[in-house]
Amino acid sequence: MRTFFSLLKTELKLNIRNMNMVIFAVIMPVVVLVILGFIYQTKPAFPGAEYTFLEQSMSAVCTISICAGGLMGLPLVVAGYRERKILKRFRVTPISPVMLLGVEFTIYVLYAAVSMALVFPMAAVFWGVRIPGSPAAFLGSWLLTLVSTLSIGMMVGGIAKNEKMASVIACLLYFPMLIFSGATLPFEVMPEMMQKIVALFPLTQGIQLMKAAFLGMHTESVWVPAAVMGIVTILCAGAAVKFFKWE
Amino acid sequence: MSETIKKIEEAVLTKGLTKSYQGRTVLKDLNLSVKAGTVFGLLGANGAGKSTTIECILGTKQAEGGTALVLGRDAKKDRRTVFQKVGVQFQEGDYQPEIRVSELCEETACLYERPADWRKLCERFGIGDKTGHAVKSLSGGERQRLFIVLALLPNPKLVFLDELTTGLDARARRTVWKILEDLKGEGLTIFLTSHFMDEVEALCDEICILRKGEAVFYGTVEQAKSQSGCERLEDAYLKFADEEVVA
Repeated sequence: MRTFFSLLKTELKLNIRNMNMVIFAVIMPVVVLVILGFIYQTKPAFPGAEYTFLEQSMSAVCTISICAGGLMGLPLVVAGYRERKILKRFRVTPISPVMLLGVEFTIYVLYAAVSMALVFPMAAVFWGVRIPGSPAAFLGSWLLTLVSTLSIGMMVGGIAKNEKMASVIACLLYFPMLIFSGATLPFEVMPEMMQKIVALFPLTQGIQLMKAAFLGMHTESVWVPAAVMGIVTILCAGAAVKFFKWE
Repeated sequence: MSETIKKIEEAVLTKGLTKSYQGRTVLKDLNLSVKAGTVFGLLGANGAGKSTTIECILGTKQAEGGTALVLGRDAKKDRRTVFQKVGVQFQEGDYQPEIRVSELCEETACLYERPADWRKLCERFGIGDKTGHAVKSLSGGERQRLFIVLALLPNPKLVFLDELTTGLDARARRTVWKILEDLKGEGLTIFLTSHFMDEVEALCDEICILRKGEAVFYGTVEQAKSQSGCERLEDAYLKFADEEVVA
Protein backbone atom coordinates (compact mmCIF):
# COMPACT_ATOMS: atom_id res chain seq x y z
CA MET A 1 0.00 0.00 0.00
CA ARG A 2 2.86 2.35 0.88
CA THR A 3 4.40 1.62 -2.52
CA PHE A 4 1.07 2.24 -4.27
CA PHE A 5 0.52 5.66 -2.71
CA SER A 6 4.13 6.79 -3.18
CA LEU A 7 4.00 5.83 -6.84
CA LEU A 8 0.58 7.41 -7.23
CA LYS A 9 1.82 10.68 -5.74
CA THR A 10 4.78 10.97 -8.10
CA GLU A 11 3.01 9.72 -11.20
CA LEU A 12 0.06 12.05 -10.57
CA LYS A 13 2.39 15.02 -10.17
CA LEU A 14 4.12 14.15 -13.46
CA ASN A 15 0.79 13.70 -15.19
CA ILE A 16 -0.50 17.09 -14.04
CA ARG A 17 2.81 18.74 -14.96
CA ASN A 18 2.36 17.36 -18.47
CA MET A 19 -0.98 19.33 -18.73
CA ASN A 20 -2.47 17.19 -21.54
CA MET A 21 -5.01 15.50 -19.34
CA VAL A 22 -5.78 18.68 -17.42
CA ILE A 23 -6.87 20.14 -20.75
CA PHE A 24 -8.62 17.13 -22.28
CA ALA A 25 -10.11 15.52 -19.17
CA VAL A 26 -10.87 18.51 -16.93
CA ILE A 27 -11.14 21.72 -18.98
CA MET A 28 -12.74 20.28 -22.10
CA PRO A 29 -15.84 18.82 -20.35
CA VAL A 30 -16.36 22.22 -18.69
CA VAL A 31 -16.11 23.97 -22.06
CA VAL A 32 -18.59 21.56 -23.65
CA LEU A 33 -20.98 22.08 -20.72
CA VAL A 34 -20.74 25.85 -21.02
CA ILE A 35 -21.41 25.74 -24.76
CA LEU A 36 -24.41 23.44 -24.33
CA GLY A 37 -25.57 25.60 -21.42
CA PHE A 38 -25.54 28.78 -23.44
CA ILE A 39 -27.25 27.19 -26.40
CA TYR A 40 -29.99 25.25 -24.64
CA GLN A 41 -30.18 27.06 -21.27
CA THR A 42 -33.10 25.50 -19.37
CA LYS A 43 -35.08 24.43 -22.40
CA PRO A 44 -36.80 21.07 -22.09
CA ALA A 45 -35.27 18.18 -24.02
CA PHE A 46 -38.31 18.12 -26.30
CA PRO A 47 -41.72 19.85 -26.10
CA GLY A 48 -43.51 18.48 -23.06
CA ALA A 49 -40.43 16.71 -21.61
CA GLU A 50 -40.05 16.61 -17.84
CA TYR A 51 -36.33 17.21 -17.98
CA THR A 52 -34.18 19.80 -19.74
CA PHE A 53 -31.92 19.20 -22.70
CA LEU A 54 -28.94 19.87 -20.51
CA GLU A 55 -30.03 17.25 -17.97
CA GLN A 56 -30.30 14.82 -20.83
CA SER A 57 -26.74 15.67 -21.91
CA MET A 58 -25.03 15.44 -18.50
CA SER A 59 -24.11 11.77 -18.93
CA ALA A 60 -22.43 12.50 -22.23
CA VAL A 61 -20.48 15.42 -20.74
CA CYS A 62 -19.25 13.12 -17.97
CA THR A 63 -17.84 10.64 -20.46
CA ILE A 64 -15.59 13.19 -22.16
CA SER A 65 -12.95 12.84 -19.47
CA ILE A 66 -13.44 9.07 -19.32
CA CYS A 67 -12.69 8.95 -23.06
CA ALA A 68 -9.71 11.25 -22.80
CA GLY A 69 -8.16 9.25 -19.96
CA GLY A 70 -8.97 5.75 -21.04
CA LEU A 71 -8.51 5.99 -24.78
CA MET A 72 -5.75 8.59 -24.97
CA GLY A 73 -3.99 9.32 -21.66
CA LEU A 74 -3.56 5.86 -20.20
CA PRO A 75 -2.41 3.95 -23.30
CA LEU A 76 -0.03 6.72 -24.35
CA VAL A 77 1.63 7.03 -20.95
CA VAL A 78 2.25 3.30 -20.59
CA ALA A 79 3.42 2.85 -24.20
CA GLY A 80 5.60 5.96 -23.86
CA TYR A 81 7.25 4.48 -20.76
CA ARG A 82 7.91 1.33 -22.71
CA GLU A 83 9.45 3.20 -25.61
CA ARG A 84 11.63 5.35 -23.35
CA LYS A 85 12.85 2.20 -21.56
CA ILE A 86 11.39 3.38 -18.28
CA LEU A 87 9.56 0.07 -18.05
CA LYS A 88 12.87 -1.67 -18.62
CA ARG A 89 14.24 0.11 -15.54
CA PHE A 90 11.12 -0.91 -13.58
CA ARG A 91 11.64 -4.48 -14.75
CA VAL A 92 14.83 -4.79 -12.70
CA THR A 93 13.01 -3.68 -9.54
CA PRO A 94 10.45 -5.69 -7.52
CA ILE A 95 7.43 -3.83 -8.96
CA SER A 96 4.62 -5.92 -10.50
CA PRO A 97 2.78 -5.01 -13.72
CA VAL A 98 -0.48 -5.01 -11.74
CA MET A 99 0.89 -2.32 -9.41
CA LEU A 100 2.16 -0.24 -12.30
CA LEU A 101 -1.08 -0.44 -14.30
CA GLY A 102 -3.10 0.03 -11.11
CA VAL A 103 -1.35 3.31 -10.35
CA GLU A 104 -1.91 4.68 -13.87
CA PHE A 105 -5.51 3.45 -13.80
CA THR A 106 -6.17 5.29 -10.53
CA ILE A 107 -4.81 8.54 -11.96
CA TYR A 108 -7.46 8.56 -14.70
CA VAL A 109 -10.20 7.60 -12.25
CA LEU A 110 -9.20 10.71 -10.30
CA TYR A 111 -9.34 12.90 -13.42
CA ALA A 112 -12.82 11.63 -14.25
CA ALA A 113 -13.98 12.19 -10.66
CA VAL A 114 -12.57 15.74 -10.60
CA SER A 115 -14.23 16.50 -13.91
CA MET A 116 -17.58 15.29 -12.60
CA ALA A 117 -17.14 17.23 -9.37
CA LEU A 118 -16.66 20.40 -11.44
CA VAL A 119 -19.33 19.91 -14.05
CA PHE A 120 -22.25 19.02 -11.77
CA PRO A 121 -22.19 22.02 -9.40
CA MET A 122 -21.69 24.34 -12.38
CA ALA A 123 -24.67 22.86 -14.22
CA ALA A 124 -26.78 22.98 -11.06
CA VAL A 125 -25.92 26.59 -10.23
CA PHE A 126 -26.11 28.14 -13.71
CA TRP A 127 -28.75 26.08 -15.48
CA GLY A 128 -30.71 24.47 -12.67
CA VAL A 129 -29.70 20.92 -13.54
CA ARG A 130 -30.83 18.30 -11.04
CA ILE A 131 -30.95 14.50 -11.06
CA PRO A 132 -34.54 13.43 -11.67
CA GLY A 133 -33.57 9.74 -11.51
CA SER A 134 -31.42 7.78 -9.11
CA PRO A 135 -28.04 9.29 -8.13
CA ALA A 136 -26.82 5.89 -6.89
CA ALA A 137 -27.73 4.12 -10.14
CA PHE A 138 -26.13 6.95 -12.07
CA LEU A 139 -22.92 6.68 -10.06
CA GLY A 140 -22.91 2.93 -10.56
CA SER A 141 -23.29 3.16 -14.32
CA TRP A 142 -20.69 5.96 -14.41
CA LEU A 143 -18.24 3.70 -12.59
CA LEU A 144 -18.94 0.81 -14.93
CA THR A 145 -18.42 3.01 -17.99
CA LEU A 146 -15.24 4.43 -16.47
CA VAL A 147 -13.73 1.10 -15.50
CA SER A 148 -14.56 -0.59 -18.80
CA THR A 149 -13.17 2.29 -20.88
CA LEU A 150 -10.00 2.48 -18.78
CA SER A 151 -9.47 -1.26 -19.09
CA ILE A 152 -9.55 -0.93 -22.89
CA GLY A 153 -6.84 1.72 -22.51
CA MET A 154 -4.83 -0.51 -20.18
CA MET A 155 -4.87 -3.29 -22.71
CA VAL A 156 -3.73 -1.00 -25.53
CA GLY A 157 -1.01 0.49 -23.33
CA GLY A 158 -0.01 -2.85 -21.87
CA ILE A 159 0.74 -4.53 -25.14
CA ALA A 160 1.32 -1.88 -27.86
CA LYS A 161 4.90 -2.10 -29.14
CA ASN A 162 5.64 1.61 -28.97
CA GLU A 163 4.07 4.99 -28.46
CA LYS A 164 3.29 5.41 -32.14
CA MET A 165 1.40 2.14 -32.32
CA ALA A 166 -0.49 3.01 -29.13
CA SER A 167 -1.26 6.44 -30.52
CA VAL A 168 -2.70 5.03 -33.76
CA ILE A 169 -4.87 2.55 -31.87
CA ALA A 170 -5.86 5.24 -29.38
CA CYS A 171 -6.94 7.61 -32.17
CA LEU A 172 -8.93 4.87 -33.88
CA LEU A 173 -10.79 4.29 -30.62
CA TYR A 174 -10.87 7.81 -29.21
CA PHE A 175 -12.15 10.03 -31.97
CA PRO A 176 -15.03 7.92 -33.29
CA MET A 177 -16.16 7.16 -29.74
CA LEU A 178 -15.79 10.74 -28.56
CA ILE A 179 -17.64 12.23 -31.48
CA PHE A 180 -20.24 9.63 -32.33
CA SER A 181 -21.07 7.81 -29.11
CA GLY A 182 -22.93 10.84 -27.85
CA ALA A 183 -20.13 12.23 -25.72
CA THR A 184 -19.83 15.50 -27.62
CA LEU A 185 -22.50 15.37 -30.31
CA PRO A 186 -25.77 14.58 -28.48
CA PHE A 187 -27.10 11.20 -29.47
CA GLU A 188 -30.59 12.68 -29.85
CA VAL A 189 -29.67 15.07 -32.66
CA MET A 190 -28.20 12.33 -34.86
CA PRO A 191 -30.24 10.91 -37.74
CA GLU A 192 -31.87 7.63 -36.88
CA MET A 193 -29.67 5.63 -39.23
CA MET A 194 -26.56 7.00 -37.56
CA GLN A 195 -27.95 6.26 -34.10
CA LYS A 196 -28.26 2.62 -35.10
CA ILE A 197 -24.65 2.43 -36.23
CA VAL A 198 -23.10 4.17 -33.22
CA ALA A 199 -25.15 2.01 -30.85
CA LEU A 200 -22.50 -0.60 -31.54
CA PHE A 201 -19.81 1.35 -29.65
CA PRO A 202 -19.42 0.12 -26.06
CA LEU A 203 -19.26 3.72 -24.87
CA THR A 204 -22.66 4.45 -26.44
CA GLN A 205 -24.07 1.69 -24.25
CA GLY A 206 -22.44 3.26 -21.20
CA ILE A 207 -23.85 6.69 -21.96
CA GLN A 208 -27.34 5.32 -22.56
CA LEU A 209 -27.18 3.45 -19.26
CA MET A 210 -25.98 6.52 -17.38
CA LYS A 211 -28.63 8.65 -19.04
CA ALA A 212 -31.43 6.26 -18.12
CA ALA A 213 -30.28 6.23 -14.49
CA PHE A 214 -29.85 9.99 -14.44
CA LEU A 215 -33.25 10.80 -15.89
CA GLY A 216 -35.02 7.97 -14.11
CA MET A 217 -36.26 6.55 -17.41
CA HIS A 218 -37.49 3.03 -17.50
CA THR A 219 -35.12 0.85 -19.47
CA GLU A 220 -35.96 -2.65 -20.43
CA SER A 221 -32.39 -3.73 -20.97
CA VAL A 222 -30.16 -2.54 -18.14
CA TRP A 223 -28.42 -5.89 -17.98
CA VAL A 224 -27.30 -6.05 -21.58
CA PRO A 225 -25.12 -2.91 -21.52
CA ALA A 226 -23.98 -3.72 -17.97
CA ALA A 227 -22.96 -7.22 -19.00
CA VAL A 228 -21.22 -5.96 -22.15
CA MET A 229 -19.16 -3.48 -20.14
CA GLY A 230 -18.43 -6.02 -17.41
CA ILE A 231 -17.11 -8.53 -19.92
CA VAL A 232 -15.05 -5.88 -21.72
CA THR A 233 -13.49 -4.94 -18.37
CA ILE A 234 -12.55 -8.48 -17.40
CA LEU A 235 -11.20 -9.39 -20.84
CA CYS A 236 -9.19 -6.21 -21.36
CA ALA A 237 -7.77 -5.94 -17.85
CA GLY A 238 -6.88 -9.63 -17.95
CA ALA A 239 -5.16 -9.27 -21.31
CA ALA A 240 -3.28 -6.16 -20.13
CA VAL A 241 -1.77 -8.05 -17.18
CA LYS A 242 -1.30 -11.41 -18.89
CA PHE A 243 0.40 -10.08 -22.00
CA PHE A 244 2.12 -7.10 -20.39
CA LYS A 245 5.33 -6.16 -22.21
CA TRP A 246 8.21 -4.51 -20.38
CA GLU A 247 10.06 -3.85 -23.64
CA MET B 1 43.83 -19.85 2.85
CA SER B 2 40.40 -19.73 4.41
CA GLU B 3 38.81 -20.65 1.09
CA THR B 4 38.95 -24.31 1.97
CA ILE B 5 37.27 -23.73 5.31
CA LYS B 6 34.46 -21.39 4.37
CA LYS B 7 32.15 -22.30 1.53
CA ILE B 8 32.17 -19.45 -0.91
CA GLU B 9 28.84 -18.26 -2.07
CA GLU B 10 28.52 -17.16 -5.69
CA ALA B 11 26.63 -13.93 -6.19
CA VAL B 12 26.50 -14.50 -9.94
CA LEU B 13 26.95 -17.82 -11.67
CA THR B 14 26.55 -18.49 -15.38
CA LYS B 15 27.07 -21.75 -17.20
CA GLY B 16 27.35 -21.98 -20.95
CA LEU B 17 25.46 -18.75 -21.57
CA THR B 18 24.80 -18.42 -25.31
CA LYS B 19 22.90 -15.83 -27.31
CA SER B 20 22.67 -14.85 -30.95
CA TYR B 21 20.94 -12.14 -32.95
CA GLN B 22 19.75 -13.04 -36.42
CA GLY B 23 22.24 -15.84 -36.78
CA ARG B 24 25.17 -13.79 -35.44
CA THR B 25 26.58 -15.15 -32.20
CA VAL B 26 26.87 -12.42 -29.57
CA LEU B 27 27.59 -14.64 -26.57
CA LYS B 28 29.24 -18.01 -26.76
CA ASP B 29 29.37 -20.51 -23.93
CA LEU B 30 30.10 -17.97 -21.22
CA ASN B 31 30.94 -19.30 -17.75
CA LEU B 32 31.22 -16.70 -15.02
CA SER B 33 31.44 -17.08 -11.29
CA VAL B 34 31.42 -13.97 -9.13
CA LYS B 35 32.12 -14.58 -5.47
CA ALA B 36 30.08 -12.70 -2.90
CA GLY B 37 31.81 -9.61 -1.58
CA THR B 38 34.13 -9.17 -4.58
CA VAL B 39 34.26 -6.75 -7.49
CA PHE B 40 34.03 -8.34 -10.92
CA GLY B 41 34.85 -6.49 -14.12
CA LEU B 42 33.54 -7.50 -17.52
CA LEU B 43 35.71 -5.94 -20.22
CA GLY B 44 35.66 -5.82 -23.98
CA ALA B 45 35.28 -3.52 -26.96
CA ASN B 46 31.93 -1.95 -27.85
CA GLY B 47 29.75 -4.72 -29.20
CA ALA B 48 31.79 -7.49 -27.57
CA GLY B 49 28.70 -8.58 -25.62
CA LYS B 50 29.08 -6.93 -22.21
CA SER B 51 25.60 -5.42 -21.97
CA THR B 52 24.05 -8.53 -23.51
CA THR B 53 25.73 -10.63 -20.81
CA ILE B 54 24.27 -8.44 -18.08
CA GLU B 55 20.83 -8.52 -19.67
CA CYS B 56 20.87 -12.31 -20.03
CA ILE B 57 21.89 -12.63 -16.38
CA LEU B 58 19.11 -10.26 -15.30
CA GLY B 59 16.53 -11.96 -17.48
CA THR B 60 15.68 -8.86 -19.51
CA LYS B 61 17.02 -10.78 -22.51
CA GLN B 62 16.44 -14.44 -23.09
CA ALA B 63 19.59 -16.52 -23.56
CA GLU B 64 19.27 -19.37 -26.06
CA GLY B 65 21.46 -21.68 -24.09
CA GLY B 66 22.95 -22.04 -20.64
CA THR B 67 21.87 -20.91 -17.23
CA ALA B 68 22.40 -17.83 -15.10
CA LEU B 69 21.85 -17.54 -11.38
CA VAL B 70 21.72 -14.30 -9.43
CA LEU B 71 22.12 -14.76 -5.66
CA GLY B 72 21.35 -18.41 -6.33
CA ARG B 73 18.09 -17.71 -8.18
CA ASP B 74 16.84 -17.38 -11.73
CA ALA B 75 16.24 -13.62 -12.12
CA LYS B 76 13.54 -14.07 -14.75
CA LYS B 77 11.53 -16.57 -12.71
CA ASP B 78 12.02 -15.02 -9.27
CA ARG B 79 12.13 -11.46 -10.51
CA ARG B 80 10.38 -9.84 -7.59
CA THR B 81 12.49 -11.61 -4.95
CA VAL B 82 15.81 -11.19 -6.72
CA PHE B 83 15.42 -7.48 -7.38
CA GLN B 84 14.69 -6.70 -3.75
CA LYS B 85 18.39 -7.26 -3.19
CA VAL B 86 19.93 -6.48 -6.58
CA GLY B 87 20.52 -2.97 -7.91
CA VAL B 88 20.99 -2.28 -11.60
CA GLN B 89 22.38 0.64 -13.54
CA PHE B 90 21.84 0.21 -17.27
CA GLN B 91 24.00 1.89 -19.86
CA GLU B 92 21.13 3.94 -21.25
CA GLY B 93 19.07 4.78 -18.21
CA ASP B 94 15.95 6.74 -19.00
CA TYR B 95 13.42 8.60 -16.89
CA GLN B 96 10.06 10.34 -17.14
CA PRO B 97 10.43 13.58 -19.13
CA GLU B 98 9.58 16.11 -16.41
CA ILE B 99 10.68 14.17 -13.32
CA ARG B 100 12.84 15.76 -10.60
CA VAL B 101 15.76 14.10 -8.86
CA SER B 102 13.86 13.81 -5.56
CA GLU B 103 10.83 12.33 -7.31
CA LEU B 104 12.85 9.75 -9.20
CA CYS B 105 14.59 8.74 -5.98
CA GLU B 106 11.34 8.54 -3.99
CA GLU B 107 9.59 6.62 -6.73
CA THR B 108 12.43 4.09 -6.89
CA ALA B 109 12.95 3.83 -3.13
CA CYS B 110 9.28 3.06 -2.47
CA LEU B 111 9.56 -0.17 -4.48
CA TYR B 112 11.86 -1.78 -1.91
CA GLU B 113 11.20 -3.26 1.50
CA ARG B 114 14.17 -1.65 3.19
CA PRO B 115 15.49 1.11 0.96
CA ALA B 116 18.57 3.18 1.68
CA ASP B 117 18.19 6.86 2.55
CA TRP B 118 18.28 8.48 -0.89
CA ARG B 119 19.14 11.92 0.48
CA LYS B 120 22.27 10.58 2.15
CA LEU B 121 23.26 8.68 -0.99
CA CYS B 122 22.82 11.79 -3.13
CA GLU B 123 24.98 13.72 -0.65
CA ARG B 124 27.62 11.04 -0.78
CA PHE B 125 27.74 11.14 -4.56
CA GLY B 126 27.92 14.92 -4.64
CA ILE B 127 24.45 15.65 -6.02
CA GLY B 128 22.84 16.47 -2.66
CA ASP B 129 22.20 20.06 -3.77
CA LYS B 130 20.48 18.94 -6.98
CA THR B 131 17.54 17.02 -5.55
CA GLY B 132 15.04 19.74 -6.47
CA HIS B 133 16.27 19.94 -10.06
CA ALA B 134 14.71 18.25 -13.08
CA VAL B 135 16.70 15.16 -14.01
CA LYS B 136 16.97 16.39 -17.60
CA SER B 137 18.66 19.59 -16.43
CA LEU B 138 21.56 17.69 -14.80
CA SER B 139 24.92 17.42 -16.53
CA GLY B 140 25.92 14.06 -17.98
CA GLY B 141 28.17 13.31 -15.04
CA GLU B 142 25.55 14.25 -12.47
CA ARG B 143 22.99 12.09 -14.18
CA GLN B 144 25.43 9.19 -14.26
CA ARG B 145 25.95 9.55 -10.51
CA LEU B 146 22.19 9.72 -9.99
CA PHE B 147 21.76 6.39 -11.75
CA ILE B 148 24.43 4.84 -9.53
CA VAL B 149 22.48 6.19 -6.54
CA LEU B 150 19.29 4.56 -7.91
CA ALA B 151 21.12 1.23 -8.27
CA LEU B 152 22.22 1.45 -4.62
CA LEU B 153 18.75 2.38 -3.31
CA PRO B 154 17.62 -1.19 -2.57
CA ASN B 155 20.48 -1.56 -0.06
CA PRO B 156 21.59 -4.31 -2.40
CA LYS B 157 23.76 -7.36 -1.82
CA LEU B 158 24.74 -7.21 -5.47
CA VAL B 159 24.89 -4.31 -7.89
CA PHE B 160 25.30 -4.27 -11.68
CA LEU B 161 26.97 -1.14 -13.02
CA ASP B 162 27.18 -0.94 -16.81
CA GLU B 163 29.89 1.57 -17.77
CA LEU B 164 29.67 3.17 -14.38
CA THR B 165 31.94 6.18 -14.77
CA THR B 166 31.39 7.09 -18.43
CA GLY B 167 30.95 10.85 -18.61
CA LEU B 168 32.51 11.55 -15.20
CA ASP B 169 35.48 13.84 -14.67
CA ALA B 170 38.64 12.63 -12.94
CA ARG B 171 37.65 13.83 -9.48
CA ALA B 172 34.13 12.40 -9.69
CA ARG B 173 35.54 9.07 -10.82
CA ARG B 174 37.81 8.95 -7.79
CA THR B 175 34.87 9.74 -5.53
CA VAL B 176 32.80 6.96 -7.06
CA TRP B 177 35.68 4.49 -6.67
CA LYS B 178 36.08 5.43 -3.03
CA ILE B 179 32.39 4.91 -2.30
CA LEU B 180 32.35 1.58 -4.12
CA GLU B 181 35.42 0.44 -2.16
CA ASP B 182 33.64 1.36 1.07
CA LEU B 183 30.50 -0.48 0.02
CA LYS B 184 32.58 -3.50 -0.92
CA GLY B 185 34.04 -3.37 2.59
CA GLU B 186 30.48 -3.58 3.88
CA GLY B 187 29.97 -6.78 1.88
CA LEU B 188 28.50 -5.52 -1.41
CA THR B 189 29.25 -7.56 -4.51
CA ILE B 190 29.83 -5.44 -7.61
CA PHE B 191 29.51 -6.55 -11.22
CA LEU B 192 30.76 -3.79 -13.50
CA THR B 193 31.73 -3.09 -17.06
CA SER B 194 34.21 -0.37 -17.91
CA HIS B 195 36.44 0.98 -20.63
CA PHE B 196 38.86 2.55 -18.14
CA MET B 197 41.70 0.25 -17.21
CA ASP B 198 42.85 2.40 -14.28
CA GLU B 199 39.40 1.97 -12.80
CA VAL B 200 39.42 -1.77 -13.39
CA GLU B 201 42.85 -2.06 -11.81
CA ALA B 202 41.78 -0.01 -8.80
CA LEU B 203 38.53 -1.85 -8.17
CA CYS B 204 38.35 -5.34 -9.61
CA ASP B 205 39.29 -8.57 -7.89
CA GLU B 206 38.66 -10.55 -11.02
CA ILE B 207 38.09 -9.67 -14.64
CA CYS B 208 36.81 -11.34 -17.76
CA ILE B 209 37.71 -10.01 -21.21
CA LEU B 210 35.21 -10.64 -23.98
CA ARG B 211 35.98 -10.71 -27.67
CA LYS B 212 33.02 -11.17 -30.01
CA GLY B 213 31.02 -12.79 -27.23
CA GLU B 214 33.74 -15.20 -26.15
CA ALA B 215 35.79 -15.07 -22.97
CA VAL B 216 39.43 -14.70 -24.01
CA PHE B 217 40.76 -14.06 -20.52
CA TYR B 218 39.42 -14.83 -17.08
CA GLY B 219 41.36 -14.18 -13.90
CA THR B 220 42.92 -11.48 -11.77
CA VAL B 221 44.48 -8.26 -13.04
CA GLU B 222 47.94 -9.59 -12.12
CA GLN B 223 47.33 -12.79 -14.05
CA ALA B 224 46.25 -10.77 -17.08
CA LYS B 225 49.51 -8.85 -16.96
CA SER B 226 51.74 -11.87 -16.48
CA GLN B 227 49.97 -14.03 -19.07
CA SER B 228 50.24 -11.34 -21.69
CA GLY B 229 53.74 -10.29 -20.68
CA CYS B 230 52.65 -6.68 -20.44
CA GLU B 231 53.44 -4.30 -17.63
CA ARG B 232 50.29 -2.27 -17.91
CA LEU B 233 46.75 -3.65 -17.76
CA GLU B 234 45.75 -1.54 -20.74
CA ASP B 235 48.38 -3.21 -22.92
CA ALA B 236 47.37 -6.62 -21.62
CA TYR B 237 43.72 -5.83 -22.31
CA LEU B 238 44.45 -4.70 -25.85
CA LYS B 239 46.46 -7.82 -26.52
CA PHE B 240 43.62 -10.05 -25.34
CA ALA B 241 40.90 -8.03 -26.94
CA ASP B 242 42.80 -8.05 -30.21
CA GLU B 243 42.89 -4.32 -30.47
CA GLU B 244 46.66 -3.87 -30.51
CA VAL B 245 47.37 -0.28 -31.47
CA VAL B 246 49.86 0.34 -34.21
CA ALA B 247 52.96 1.66 -32.46
